Amino acid sequence: MANSALAGQGGTMQETHPAARRAALSRAAIYLVLIVGAAAAIVPFLYTVSVSLMNLTEATGGRALPATPQWTNYVEAWRDAQFSQYFMNSVKITLISVGGALVFCALAAYAFAQMEFPGKSFLFTLLLSTLMLPEAITWVPNFITVSWLGRISPVPWINNWPALTIPFMASAFGIFLLRQFFLQIPQELWDSAQIDGSGHLRYLITVVLPLSSAAVMTLVLFGFVGAWNALAWPILVTTTADWRPISYGLLVFLDEAGALLHLQMAGAIITMLPIVVLYFFTQRHFIDGIATTGLKG
Amino acid sequence: MNRNRFWMLAVLLVASLVLAACPAPAAPAAEMEADEAPAAEAMDAGPCAPATDGPLAGIDPRGQTIVWWHQHRGSREEKLAVIVEDFNSNNECGIVLDAQNQGGYNDIRDKVNASTASGEQPASLIVGYQNDQAFYQLNEVLADFDKFIDDPTWGLSAEAKADYFASFMEQGVHPVFDSQRLGFPPNRSMEVLYYNQTWLEELGFSGPPSTPEEFEEMACAAADANGDGTGGYILRDDASAMASWTFALGGDVLNDDNTGYVYNGQATIDAMTMLKRMLDNGCAYFFTEGYPNPEFAARRAAFTQGSSSGLPFYANDMATIAEEQGRDMDVWGVTAIPHTTADPVQNIYGADVMITAGPPEQELAAWLFIKWFTSPENQAQWVEASNYFPTRAGTEAHLSGYVEENPQYGEALALLGFGAYEPQLISYQAVRDAAQTAFNEILQGADIQATLDALTETANDLQEELMGEVQ
Amino acid sequence: MGRASILVDESGMVHYNVGGKFCVDAVPLKSWGNSLQVDSTVSQTTAIRSDLRQQIRATPGWFRSRQGRRLREMVLAYSFLAPAFAIIGLFGLFPLAFAAYESTLRGLNKIVGSYDGLGNYVKAVDNFIYILAFWMAAGLVYYAGATVTRALLERREEQTNPLPWLLPGALTAVGVALFTRFVYILLPEMLLIPSKLRGQSNTQAAFRGLVMETWWLPKVQIALWLAIVVLAVGAGWALFVNRGVPPDRRERIYFVPFFSAGISLIGGAALTWLTWTEINGAYAEALEQGEGLALWSQIVTISAGFLLLLLAWRLWNSGGDRPTNTGIAMRLFGAVALMAGGWVLIGELPRVISAGDEDWWNGLMATVFYVLGTVPIQLGLALILAALLFQKIRGQTFFRVLYFLPYVAPFVGTAAVFRIIFSNRPTAPLNSMLDLFGSEPLLWLSEPAGIFQMMAGSKLDLGPILSGPSLALVAIMIYGIWTYVGFDTVIFLAGLGAIPNELYEVADIDGAGGWAQFRHVTLPLLSPTIYFLSLYAVIGTFKAFNHIFVLRQAAALGTTDTASIVIFQAFKRDTRYGYASALAILLLIIILAITLINNRIASRRVFYG
Repeated sequence: MANSALAGQGGTMQETHPAARRAALSRAAIYLVLIVGAAAAIVPFLYTVSVSLMNLTEATGGRALPATPQWTNYVEAWRDAQFSQYFMNSVKITLISVGGALVFCALAAYAFAQMEFPGKSFLFTLLLSTLMLPEAITWVPNFITVSWLGRISPVPWINNWPALTIPFMASAFGIFLLRQFFLQIPQELWDSAQIDGSGHLRYLITVVLPLSSAAVMTLVLFGFVGAWNALAWPILVTTTADWRPISYGLLVFLDEAGALLHLQMAGAIITMLPIVVLYFFTQRHFIDGIATTGLKG
Repeated sequence: MNRNRFWMLAVLLVASLVLAACPAPAAPAAEMEADEAPAAEAMDAGPCAPATDGPLAGIDPRGQTIVWWHQHRGSREEKLAVIVEDFNSNNECGIVLDAQNQGGYNDIRDKVNASTASGEQPASLIVGYQNDQAFYQLNEVLADFDKFIDDPTWGLSAEAKADYFASFMEQGVHPVFDSQRLGFPPNRSMEVLYYNQTWLEELGFSGPPSTPEEFEEMACAAADANGDGTGGYILRDDASAMASWTFALGGDVLNDDNTGYVYNGQATIDAMTMLKRMLDNGCAYFFTEGYPNPEFAARRAAFTQGSSSGLPFYANDMATIAEEQGRDMDVWGVTAIPHTTADPVQNIYGADVMITAGPPEQELAAWLFIKWFTSPENQAQWVEASNYFPTRAGTEAHLSGYVEENPQYGEALALLGFGAYEPQLISYQAVRDAAQTAFNEILQGADIQATLDALTETANDLQEELMGEVQ
Repeated sequence: MGRASILVDESGMVHYNVGGKFCVDAVPLKSWGNSLQVDSTVSQTTAIRSDLRQQIRATPGWFRSRQGRRLREMVLAYSFLAPAFAIIGLFGLFPLAFAAYESTLRGLNKIVGSYDGLGNYVKAVDNFIYILAFWMAAGLVYYAGATVTRALLERREEQTNPLPWLLPGALTAVGVALFTRFVYILLPEMLLIPSKLRGQSNTQAAFRGLVMETWWLPKVQIALWLAIVVLAVGAGWALFVNRGVPPDRRERIYFVPFFSAGISLIGGAALTWLTWTEINGAYAEALEQGEGLALWSQIVTISAGFLLLLLAWRLWNSGGDRPTNTGIAMRLFGAVALMAGGWVLIGELPRVISAGDEDWWNGLMATVFYVLGTVPIQLGLALILAALLFQKIRGQTFFRVLYFLPYVAPFVGTAAVFRIIFSNRPTAPLNSMLDLFGSEPLLWLSEPAGIFQMMAGSKLDLGPILSGPSLALVAIMIYGIWTYVGFDTVIFLAGLGAIPNELYEVADIDGAGGWAQFRHVTLPLLSPTIYFLSLYAVIGTFKAFNHIFVLRQAAALGTTDTASIVIFQAFKRDTRYGYASALAILLLIIILAITLINNRIASRRVFYG
C-alpha cells in the first residue's frame, strides 16, 4: 500500500513537476536577469546617493558608504541653489512645450500614418533629416530665428517663454514615434468609423489616440525629461532668472559647490527627483496599450 | 482608466494654454520709462553734464541703463550685487547697471556671437578673454577704450593711468586691429603652486621650494611618505601649466615679435622632462575626477598647481576636512612656480571687460561704470569679495586688513609684479587644445623634442590658417 | 514558414499564422467594433462600406469624383501637417538650409563669408568630394530616369495615361527649384541685416525697416514672382488635368512621379554644374602651381571600385533566386567582383582620404566605432529587459523605475560618478575590482590605446582601424549604453503594450512556449517599434555629443573625439561656420544614406498589424 501510495504520489509528481519546475526555473531566470540588470543600472546611482550623504573627507577618499549620513547636504544644496524659482520656471516651460508637442505631433503623425497625400515619403524623409544635423550647428540659425520672430511679433521671444517652448512643440522624434504606433491600428477601425460618419479628426481623437495612449504617454514623458534637463539652449536664449530652468540652477550650484562632490551629488538628485516621482506614479500608463485597457475603459 | 488619462491630458493642455497666455514680465516696460525720463529733461549743466569739447562732446551718459554680462556666480555674484547697488544708488549720472550672470565664459561667447549673427543687441558690457576680443572685432562688435581713457572730461588722469599695471593694460591692445584697446582689466589671477607647509616641515623641509630641484625632492619625499601613488604633486596638464613652467624656467611660448608660437624652446623641453620624470618616479600623479583641492586638503598631495582664484575653495576645504578629521588645520600657502630665473616669473591671466559698440551714450555710461569699478577703493572691495588680484598699484593700500586675514592671498599678491602672459593670438583657443594633447603625449612616453617640434608647427599652422581666414 | 503572418481578409476576419504550425480564426476585431458602438457584425462591414462609397459619391460639388475625394484628403492631410511643419520648418529645416548655404562660404566668425564653392568640403575630404558629388548627381539622374520609365511601362501594361501629367509635373518641379533659388537669393541679404544694424540705434523699427527694404529688393521680388508664377501655372495645370481624368476608369495620377523626376533632374544638373566648375577651378589652380592633378584617374578608379561592389551585391542577390548551378556561378562572379572592387578601393581610397582633414577622418572612425559599439547592445539589452518587465512579475513597478533612473538623472551628476568609476587611480572602483582578480589597473578614460591592440599586446601592431576604439571611448560607450537603455526600454514597453493580448492567448492554446511566442508573436508585432528605435538610435549615436563631451579627457589624445565633437570645435571654438557646416552636411549625407538603406531593409521586415 505504502509503496503504491508512494508510486501514486510519484506519478502525480512526475506529471506536474517538470512543468512546475520549468516555470519556477524560468521565473528564477527572469528574476536573475532583472536583478543583474537592475544592479548595473542602480549601482552608479546608489553611489551617487551615497556620496550625496557623505562629508567632504569621505567624498574625497573614495569611500563606498558614509559613516553617518549627512542629510544636511540636501538642505544646504536646496538653500544654496535657490531651486524654488527655477523649479517653477521648469514646470511652466515643460507644460507649455509638452502640451504643444502633443497636439502638433499627434496631428502630423496621424497624417503620415493614416492619410494619403502626394510627397508623403519625401516629407517624411525631410522630417527625419532634421534629426541628422548636429545640435551645435543649429543653435546660431535658431537663435537668429527666435530673435527675428521676437522683433516682428507682439510678444518678445528672447528671455521669454516662446523661445524656450515653441521650438520644442513639434519634433521629428515625436511624430515618428506616434506614427509607428498609429500604423499598427487595424484599418478596419477606420472603415467602421467612416460608416459611423466619423471624419479624420474625430477618428483621431476618439479612437486612435486612446488606442495609442502608451505611445502618447511615452511622448509626454520624454518631452518632460527633455525640457527638464535642457541647458545649452535655455542659457543661450535667457538673460535673467525670470525664465531660466532648473538645470541652470543646478549649473550655478555646481559651480558654487566647486570640488565639493557630495553637494554636487545632492543637487543632482534634487533636480531629478520630480521626474522619478512622476514616473513612479504613472509608469502603469506607459504600457497600457490596446491589449490591456484600450477598449475596456 | 481611459477617461482618467484624458482628463490628465486635458488638464495639461489647458494648463499649457493658460501659461502660454500669461503676459510677458513687465520689467522691460519699466526699464524703458527709466530710459526716457532723463532724456526728456536733458540739462546741459550740473554734475555729469555732457562735455563741451573733445571727441565725446555732447554725449550725455545720464540716466542710461547698462547691462553687464558676466560669469560670476554664487557668493561672488552676491557680493558683486552689493557693489553694483552702491554704484546705482550713488553715481551722480543716474546710470543704472544691471549685472546679469550668463553662465560661463563660453556661454557669454556663444551669446555674443549669436547676438552678432542675429542683430540682437548684446549687453553693453561683457566679460571675456583676450583672444575672444579678436573674434568679436572681426565683426566690429567692440568699442575702443582709448577714446574714453584719453578723453579730457571722462578719461583717466595721468596718475590714474600710471597706477594701472602697464602689462595688464597691454593685454587688451590688438595690433591686428589698428592697435585698438578692446579690453580693460578689472581683475587678474595667476598660476601659483599650493603647498602644505605643515606636512613639508614634518618631512624635514623648512619651507616651500623655490627651485625645480627642491620642488622635485619635496614632492618625492611626500610621495614616499604616502606610499600609495599619491602624496606628491598633482599634475596639471593644460596649456596654462605648460606656459607657467616655461616662464619659470626662463623661456617663453611666444616668438620675439609676438606673431607666432615657440613651444620647442629649451625651457619647455626642460620643464617637460622634469614633469615626465616626476610622473615616472611616482612623485607626481594625475587626478582626473574633479578639482584637486579636496585631495590637497586630505593630504593626498603636498603640491597642487592652479589659478589663485581657487584660494577661497582651498581655504574652505582645508578647514572642513581638518574639522571632519578632528585635527588641527595644516598650515598651507601659495608660492611662485619653482623657477631657475633670478626672480620668479608668474603666469598672470584673467578676463577683461569689453564695451560693445552701440549708441555713444551707452558706451560712455558703460565706461563710467568701469572707471568707477576699478578705482582703488572699489577695486579693493571687489578683490576682497572675489579673491582676484587688483589691476592697479593704488588698490594695495586699501587691502592691508584683508591681507592680514588671508596670508595666502598676501603671499600671492607679492608676486603680482613678476608677470608674464600667455599668448593673445586669435588661434590660442585651438592651440591650447593642441598643447594639452602634446603635453599628454609626452607624459605617455612620446619623444619630447619631436613632440614639441610638432606642436610648434601645428600651432603656427593654426595661427596662419586662422589669420588667412581673417584677411 | 517560421515567420508569423497575420492576414486580414475582406470580411474583417483575422487569420493568425504563428510559426506555420496552426491557423486560427481569431475574433479580436469584434471587440474593436464594440468599442466603437457600431452595431454591425463583422460580415456586414463590406456591404456598409460600399454603401458609404455611394453616399460619398452622392455628395455634391468639387469633391464629388474619386479624384476630388483624394484632393480633399490631401488638403486635410496638409492642414494636419501644417502646424508641426511650420515649427519644424523654422527650427529644423531652416538650420538645414542655413548649413547648406554656410558650407559654401569661408571666413572666421562671419555669417555671410566669402563664397568658396566646394572649398570647405575639399578641405575636409579632399578630392573625394568631387567623386561623391559626381555620384550623387548620377544617382539623381538615374532616379529620375527610373521614375519616368516606370510610369511609361505602366502605360503600356495597364493602359493608363501618364503623359498629360508630364508638363504640369515638370513645371511644378521647375517652380520649386525657382523657389529654392529665391530662398538662396533672399537668405544672404537677410543675414546681412545685422551687420547693417550695427552702429545705428538698434530698435525694432530700424530692424523692420531693413527687413522691408531687403524684401522689396528688385532681385528678390523678381525671383519670388518668377517662382510663384511658375508654381501656380504648374499646380493649376495639374488641377486641370486632374479634373479631366474620367472618373470611371482605373486611372492613376502621375503628378508625383514626374514632379520628383523633374526635381531630381534639376538637382542633378545643378550638382554637376557645381562640381564641373569646381574641378575646372582646381585644375587651373594646379596648373598655375605647376602641379599635375590626378583627379580624373581618382574619380574613375574609385567609381569603378564602387560599381564593382554594386555589381557584386546585385549578382549575389539575384544568384539566390536562380537554379543551383547558375546561382552558384553568379555568386562566384559576385564574390570576384566584390574582391576586385574592394581591392581597387583599398588601393585608392586611403590615398585620396589621407589628403583631407585628419581630425575629421579620425572623428568619423571614432563615430563608427561608437555607433557599432552602442546601438546593438543598447537595443538588445532594452528589448530583453522590456520583454521581462512586461511579464507579470512581482516588483514590476520597482524594476521599471530602476531601469528608467539613469536616463532621467542629470548629466552632470552621472558623469561625475562615471569619472570616478572609470578613473585611472589604482584605488578607483573598477581598478579595485581588477585588483581583486589580480589584474593590473587600467587607465580607462585616460587610455588612448585601442582595445583590440591592448588585447593583442605590444608585439603586434594592428594599425589604426583594427586596433578598435580606444579604451577611453569604450568607457564612454558604456556610459552611453547605461544612460540610454532606460530610454529604449520605456519605448519597447509601449510597443509591447500595443500587441493584443488575444494573440498570446491564441498562441497559448496552441501550446507555443515562451520562446516561440516571443519569436513568432512578439518580435514581428514589435517590429515597428524596433524599426523606430534602431533608426533613432543610429541617428542619435551618430551625432552623440553631450556625454562624450563631458567625459573626454586630454589624456585620451583625441581618440574619443567623434565627428560631432570635431564639428562642435570648428563651429564654437574656432567660429569657422562654413567649415563646420560642411562637416555637418557630410555627416548628414552619411546618416541619410544609412537611413535610406535601413528603410529599404525595413520595408521588407517591418510588419504593421
